[in-house]
Amino acid sequence: MKRRDFIKSSLTVAVAGALSGTALTSAFAAGPIKVGILIPLSGPAGLFGPSSQNCAQMAVDEINASGGILGRQIEPVFADVGGPPADATQAALKLWKGEKAEAFIGMHDSAVRGALTNLFKGQVPYIYTPVYEGGECAAGTYVIGETPDQQLAPVIPWLAKEKGASKWYLIGNDYNWPRDTNAAAKGYIEASGGEVVGEEYLPFTADNFDSNLAKIKDTGANAVLITLVGGASVGFNRAFASFGLSDSAIRLGTLIEENTLAGIGAENSKGLYSSAGYFASIDTPAAKAFAEAYAAKFGADAAALNSLGQSCYEGVLLLSALAGKAQSLSASDIDTIAEGTTYEGPRGAATMSNRHVAKDIYLAQADGTAFTVVQTFADVDPGNNCG
Amino acid sequence: MDLVVTYGLNFAYSTATLGLIVLGLAVVFGLLGVMNMAHGEFVMLGAYSALMVQQAGLPFVLAIPLAVIVCGALGWLMEWSVIRHLYRRPFDTFLATWGIAILMRKGVEVSFGREYQSVDQSLPGTVSLMGIDYPAYRLVLMAVIVTMFALLFVWYQRSNTGARIKAMVQNPDLAAAVGINTARLSRATFVTGVAIAGLAGVLLAPLVRVEPYMGLDYLLSSFFILVVGGLGTLEGLIIGSSIIGGADVVISAIFDKTAGYLGVLAISILFLWLRPDGIFSRR
Amino acid sequence: MAFSRAAKLTLAALLLAFPLLSDSFTAYQLGLYLLYGMVAQGIALCWGRAGFLPLGQALFFGIGAYLSGAALKADLGWALLIPAFAVACLVPALLAGLVGALVFNRQTGSGPYFSLITLALSMLGFQLANSLSGITGGFNGMTAIPGLPGIDTYETLYFVIVGVLVVSTLVLAHVMRAPFGQLLIAIRENEERLQFFGFRTSMLKAAAFGISGGIAGLAGALYAPHQGIVTPQAVGFVLSAELLIWTAVGGRFGLIGPVAGAVLIGFMAAGLRDSFRYWEVAVALVFILVVLKMPGGISGLFSAALSRFGGGSSTRHEAPTPQLLASKDQRAAPDLRFDTVGVSMGPVRILNGLSFSISRTGIHCIIGPNGAGKTSALNVLTGRLPLGAGEISWRGVSLGNTRPFIAARNGIGRKFQVPSIFPELSVRQNIEIALWANRIGTTEMFSMRPYGWTTQMLGELKIRFPFLMQSDKMAGSLSVGQRQMLDFSMTVLAEPDLVLLDEPCAGLSADETRQMIEAIAAIAGETKATFIIIEHDMQVVERLSDHVLVMHQGALLANGTMTEIRANADVARVYSGGSK
Repeated sequence: MKRRDFIKSSLTVAVAGALSGTALTSAFAAGPIKVGILIPLSGPAGLFGPSSQNCAQMAVDEINASGGILGRQIEPVFADVGGPPADATQAALKLWKGEKAEAFIGMHDSAVRGALTNLFKGQVPYIYTPVYEGGECAAGTYVIGETPDQQLAPVIPWLAKEKGASKWYLIGNDYNWPRDTNAAAKGYIEASGGEVVGEEYLPFTADNFDSNLAKIKDTGANAVLITLVGGASVGFNRAFASFGLSDSAIRLGTLIEENTLAGIGAENSKGLYSSAGYFASIDTPAAKAFAEAYAAKFGADAAALNSLGQSCYEGVLLLSALAGKAQSLSASDIDTIAEGTTYEGPRGAATMSNRHVAKDIYLAQADGTAFTVVQTFADVDPGNNCG
Repeated sequence: MDLVVTYGLNFAYSTATLGLIVLGLAVVFGLLGVMNMAHGEFVMLGAYSALMVQQAGLPFVLAIPLAVIVCGALGWLMEWSVIRHLYRRPFDTFLATWGIAILMRKGVEVSFGREYQSVDQSLPGTVSLMGIDYPAYRLVLMAVIVTMFALLFVWYQRSNTGARIKAMVQNPDLAAAVGINTARLSRATFVTGVAIAGLAGVLLAPLVRVEPYMGLDYLLSSFFILVVGGLGTLEGLIIGSSIIGGADVVISAIFDKTAGYLGVLAISILFLWLRPDGIFSRR
Repeated sequence: MAFSRAAKLTLAALLLAFPLLSDSFTAYQLGLYLLYGMVAQGIALCWGRAGFLPLGQALFFGIGAYLSGAALKADLGWALLIPAFAVACLVPALLAGLVGALVFNRQTGSGPYFSLITLALSMLGFQLANSLSGITGGFNGMTAIPGLPGIDTYETLYFVIVGVLVVSTLVLAHVMRAPFGQLLIAIRENEERLQFFGFRTSMLKAAAFGISGGIAGLAGALYAPHQGIVTPQAVGFVLSAELLIWTAVGGRFGLIGPVAGAVLIGFMAAGLRDSFRYWEVAVALVFILVVLKMPGGISGLFSAALSRFGGGSSTRHEAPTPQLLASKDQRAAPDLRFDTVGVSMGPVRILNGLSFSISRTGIHCIIGPNGAGKTSALNVLTGRLPLGAGEISWRGVSLGNTRPFIAARNGIGRKFQVPSIFPELSVRQNIEIALWANRIGTTEMFSMRPYGWTTQMLGELKIRFPFLMQSDKMAGSLSVGQRQMLDFSMTVLAEPDLVLLDEPCAGLSADETRQMIEAIAAIAGETKATFIIIEHDMQVVERLSDHVLVMHQGALLANGTMTEIRANADVARVYSGGSK
């Protein structure tokens, strides 16, 4: 086996070297850096697989074009982690021990993250990219996704002030992320002088939201914080608007990205806001250049840009920044220098703080089936995540 | 008071739509004994028919014949290639149709992508009814469903085909012996069942999310409703829908949706255990 | 089943050597599939053997995983971990057994309702695992579960799994070989017949389901340290369905097949999922093909091929020591009373005030025109029809609304008009089951000794019906006449005190009828049991019996010796039969 592996990897190196040409001189001995990119290609989040893969590939190509990481080319190896944690562990293990991946970037749910931190045990750098509930502090793990504190701390006071949001109804799916998000929200709502008039959690299987809508109407809520995910969010928002509730209450979602909005539909998106670190329509030069490059590279029919997919691009940027600063890919070297590492991407500038990043947060309003950024909050702190 | 009216209408709506969704399965499982795990996928195909009509810029009503043709043709193919070999083997129909459901989801994924789709409501806006605002499309939909059920009921009671189906269900061997072509009748019944599922998909498309995996939502609850109401009768189907829908509405209103979901599961288990032949059974 | 011992040993050796042949991380991966394979073995016991399909097996797997995860997180050390693992195995086993007992006790047969209940339970478990986040960690799961103390998760845990798999396979193989396993096949083949032998089939099925739940729990208990995390998916419907697919594809009739299915599809999916976006299509196509064309799955193909080349003999076990069972020689006098018994089906009154009593041994015949309620009278006596009115008692025990297995345990044996046997079992196995009726105890169901049981009557029957000596012939391939004789032999081999025979000569040739009549007369004379025979053929009635009961329109019309009956004016009026 060992022999076979050796032959296989030497072959890969030779082929990669022959293809790139330039790498031959600089790093023949080390070969390219294999980076495991763990994204959902199947399962409920499989929708985000194609955009994640495109974004990661784009970042890799750009970095490789400018010399790679530590003078070595990056070779992305993708694996599907859309299934349950047991399947994801198998996939990651195959890349780690089989393909000898030296770092991992993951865009998946928190259950899979729990399985992976337990698998890696800090022995290999692992960057977790999507929006999540906060609190991850395992060694060797770096998080760039939005935390509830980042998405809500600036946004709730702004909505209170500008849109008169004062009576909040909190509705989410019945699991950790919505519960933690709402726990954070309550503090900000109170601080902004508002009150929580209702809080409800729905099973993933929910497809009829009538009783929730009746309650929302009955409480006289003028703002709804939505932490439903995927299909449940689409279904809820459609029913919400069809009952005419969009005239009496605004909606704020912390995971309503471009695909979800497309499913909600133009006729149902009135008064819908979304808070995230990225929207396809961010109007900064960096973001615009990114979107244009994406369209040029993958064509007009490519999977639509969204915050989850794009986070994989940022993940590769962060890996490059961390490796560059540590001058090493070893997990322990990176862990010593990680704090304060900065990088700049389409989302704006980001700085590592307590394994998370402080960064810009955008509040966008739905306009038909597109988002318009209405407010940018600069350099928002990720909050207290490590105890 | 408003709340009572709202809950009343919601109850009526959920009973009507559940009945509509289950109807196709009632035909296929209730009459033929085929545990069609691809039932939800036919609902999904119906919704995509509505989407295709919308994308082509045609009027919404045209989605109905399209869905019937698409689902009917596919149902015919499925019956011919797989189901007809498996009649009276419910477990095997369960397993085979589970595989077929995967193929159908993947097929739609290849053609339309994984994305969520949005089918516009042809009747947006709300109507004031007994002091509350209620979505206009829903009211129309309820009226359509009620009419449909009434017509179907009369047809099944009166028509010759209805009588032959009843004969086949009760005793296939005897029915064949008296000259009923049960193979053809079974196929026609199966095709009708999945076409009805497709029709349900069209009618619901403007209200729900549309994506390749939407069918799973409708599948399992449909089985439970059928069992609660008892197989083989339209009345049972409506009762089953109102018990399951009603339990969900009431428990969700008092506690929360999770409790409502758990309550529906518990009720289903109790029925499956104590009254597997439905609420009217004399056991 | 069809794998020889050498093949099994080779397989076990290959499994143990796998980490050396491959690498420890592929072995780690294989370990997971082997755990799933264990669960699939339990499904095979229920589905392939006993014929009922559990749709929510992940529930038991997940419960075992959560329990063992909690124990591991509590850092108990081996002394307390062993009992904790026992709990992780027993709780799912008891839960499954309880569910099985409750459901099967109400429903005979293996229809889809039990399956849907298990499915709903699995969905319920999934939602609870999500909602009870204080205990389970919710959606994110119970995380950071340590490995087994002193055992490296990626190096040595694999061997623990292989060890447990080998042990559980041996245990299951024994369970399947033992009388219990043969009774499960009998349930699959003809559950009602087994009940008329006094077996409480609901409890046998519940026990099988309990065993499968325990195995699933054990696999789950190892899954927790293997994965270090347990999430609600471990309980849910999707895993349950996958387990079913693996069982079906691998082969549900044996123990190697389910494991092979889990391993093959596991590696296939793992290999394809990253490279081929539509890998699920491949799995689905294979699956549909298996359902349509290979009900025995992949291992079914293998064993078919093996037997074609003369391998894989089906000899079950070395013959145990024969043991001659004592026959009943003392029997209390019969005392059967029907007191104004009424039975209705919907608006139709089938029995209408039927009263008679039998207190004498010997052969009693019931005659009457079609629709008189003869078979219904036997049905209500043996709990096959509900008693509407009146009272039935046998030796002072009320049998109103009894159940078949209780009637049988009270010494009432029954043979139906249409021969009712276990077609997929051999003649010998059919006879074994009859010999076990009312004799076999719970522990004996799991021992090999009952295979050696024999009675004096069996020897006599074999002389009378020589085909009974073709012991390896499948009962389903017997002629109609032979089936009648086998059914009759089985009924009397159980040595009931009251034997109910419903037209025992139906479908028999003249010669076979003679054989049958002789057998009935001889056995009735020898055993001193009481026979009640429904018969149309007056010659048969005359030959066999001196007491005849005439039924008409659900009630007793006349009652006496054949001569008395012939002279009865009422009988002559309604009964145009007479002698043929």
